[in-house]
Amino acid sequence: MTSIRRRLTVWVLAGCSVLWAGGAAGLYLDLRAGLLGEFDATLTARAQALAALTRQRGTVVELDFPGEFMPGFERGGAADYFQMQRADGGVFDQSPSLDGHVLAGAAAAAATPQYADVTLPDGSPGRAITLRFTPQSGDDETADSDRNSSTAPAVIVIVALHRSALDDRLKALATTLFGAGVLLAFVTLVGVPVLVRRGLSPLDAVAEQARGIDGASLERRFPSTSLPAELAPICGRLNELLARLQASFERERRFSADVAHELRTPVAELRAAVEVALRWPGDVAEATLALQEAHEIAVQMDGLITRLLTLARCEAGLQPVTREPVYVAALLQEVWEPLAAQAARKQVVTTWAVTEDTCLDTDRTLLRAIFSNLVANAVEYCPEGGSIGVCVPDGHDPWQLEISNTVAELATDDVSHLFDRFWQGDPRRAASFHSGLGLAVSKALAASLGMDITAQLASPTVLRLALTRRCERA
Amino acid sequence: MRLLLVEDSARLRGSLGRGLGRAGYVVDSTGDGNEGLWFAESNQYDTIVLDLMLPGLDGLTILRRLRQQQNRAPVLILTARDTVEDRVRGLSAGADDYLVKPFAFEELLARIQALCRRRYDSPNPLIVIGDLAVDTAARTVKQAGACIDLTPREFMLLEYLAARRGEVVSRREIEAHIYDDAVDPMSNVVDSAICSLRRKLGAHGVTPLIRTRRGMGYVLESAPR
Repeated sequence: MTSIRRRLTVWVLAGCSVLWAGGAAGLYLDLRAGLLGEFDATLTARAQALAALTRQRGTVVELDFPGEFMPGFERGGAADYFQMQRADGGVFDQSPSLDGHVLAGAAAAAATPQYADVTLPDGSPGRAITLRFTPQSGDDETADSDRNSSTAPAVIVIVALHRSALDDRLKALATTLFGAGVLLAFVTLVGVPVLVRRGLSPLDAVAEQARGIDGASLERRFPSTSLPAELAPICGRLNELLARLQASFERERRFSADVAHELRTPVAELRAAVEVALRWPGDVAEATLALQEAHEIAVQMDGLITRLLTLARCEAGLQPVTREPVYVAALLQEVWEPLAAQAARKQVVTTWAVTEDTCLDTDRTLLRAIFSNLVANAVEYCPEGGSIGVCVPDGHDPWQLEISNTVAELATDDVSHLFDRFWQGDPRRAASFHSGLGLAVSKALAASLGMDITAQLASPTVLRLALTRRCERA
Repeated sequence: MRLLLVEDSARLRGSLGRGLGRAGYVVDSTGDGNEGLWFAESNQYDTIVLDLMLPGLDGLTILRRLRQQQNRAPVLILTARDTVEDRVRGLSAGADDYLVKPFAFEELLARIQALCRRRYDSPNPLIVIGDLAVDTAARTVKQAGACIDLTPREFMLLEYLAARRGEVVSRREIEAHIYDDAVDPMSNVVDSAICSLRRKLGAHGVTPLIRTRRGMGYVLESAPR
């Protein structure tokens, strides 16, 4: 499994290592260049001083070497070396410290000073400058005219100095940088994981909180104010997810409780009827009544279970749908006929506005079940003297059927619960033959047919249910 | 003993009403909350069996109103609500017992009997008055060790008088607890029942226990004063 902490630690460690190594190398090279520059400047100064002391008198080139001012070149001095030679390589003067040895300078002395690492006569490492110059004339009156004379022979001076001190300093620098690098690497190895862990600690806190949330504690929420900006939106989405889960769990809990209630009441009725009959077995009338009630209860429970199974099938997408041309007006008339007498008893005024040629390609049985439920509800809950309207609005796209009826007591809040399973505006659950599943089943069946049912209060006393065909899928 | 049954399920109400009636109780029943409250306020019941989800007025509201009115009738809540919160809410509102549907009729009967006994501070189902022993659980009567065969109505009368032994019980109270509303207030059913009961109890040659307090009613005593 990918670990952000591990990956971040590796990346930071690798980054720090490259950074530290690059920095140390750069610093070393920069300091080395500086030290070499200083060393070369010393060499240049010495060579230029010697050049300034070199005079040409006629055809003779002489170096007026002031040994007392340059003790390093003396034998037994600081072991500095110089060598004067003509362009053709003929050595005509050298420092006493060379003691007859020849210094190897640059192979071909250029106009600019040449620096090179050399091995000194005593075998130790040194660094030398090879400087080509034209000596000044030793005759004062002809000095100016001869100084830049192109005929004056060029002279090469080679100055060499011991570089042991320079190498020691460079070595000390490299050692210091290496030590510092090792120390930094250690600190980084120890510090980075700690810092990464500390930096990611809000993630651990969130993980710990998430671990403590289960089905029984879905009311818990992640803190939204004390989190880092990167985690706040994630926790916000998680809180929204938890809210949806909580609502879903609550709905399921309520559903289970409702199912239990709906089953308990008929079971209680059944048990009471049978137990009372059994307690006085000689009473034939009581036994007959108990049997009749048992049959009614069985039919009622059969209906409840059938509706629950239909709901489950629809929600699982397993409700079979057999499409065929269905004439809406004829089907509505068919479901209205058994309800007409009840509507007449209640003196309900009905209005029909459904053209006879309205035809849908749908499942006749399922659509009939939906129509039956909607129309039966309209008749059942319409108060005496109220009105019921059934219409298919002309030109409405997508197709829609509206069923409206007068209602006596229905609040706006109640409308939002109409399609909840087992919801009933009237608490007389057991007293009525309604289980509160009809509209939920109708909505699920409508969904299977690619339709939707919505409800709204057209006015405080008129409920309008709309069965709408969803737009055809592309 | 007179019971009030407030239950919105017509089938359950019918079965329980018939069963409790056959068990020797006078039962008033209704499926409406408002009517149930009216019944409870208008009569003195020995136990009220109350559903919670009722049309008109829910069971808990009925219970709270009765307790606010200092109505001391024992109340047994009979409901499908089975959570601990529901039980606590019901008992906290003043219920004396709580039974969840579905239930055994025998259990309901036993609980109602227990509540009726508690109503008259008689925790023991066996009431002994002198040589008379009334077993309200087994619904038997013995006098001097001999069983006495009583009709259900006579047993109800004796049970009520035994529950209130030593107290003067008026005819009106006897009517209210033993007879339903169909009884004509001007009839002498109570006197006839008392007479019949005395005859059966006196058949064993023992001093009559039921005494008449003229103009007041009847009293069941262990020994004549």
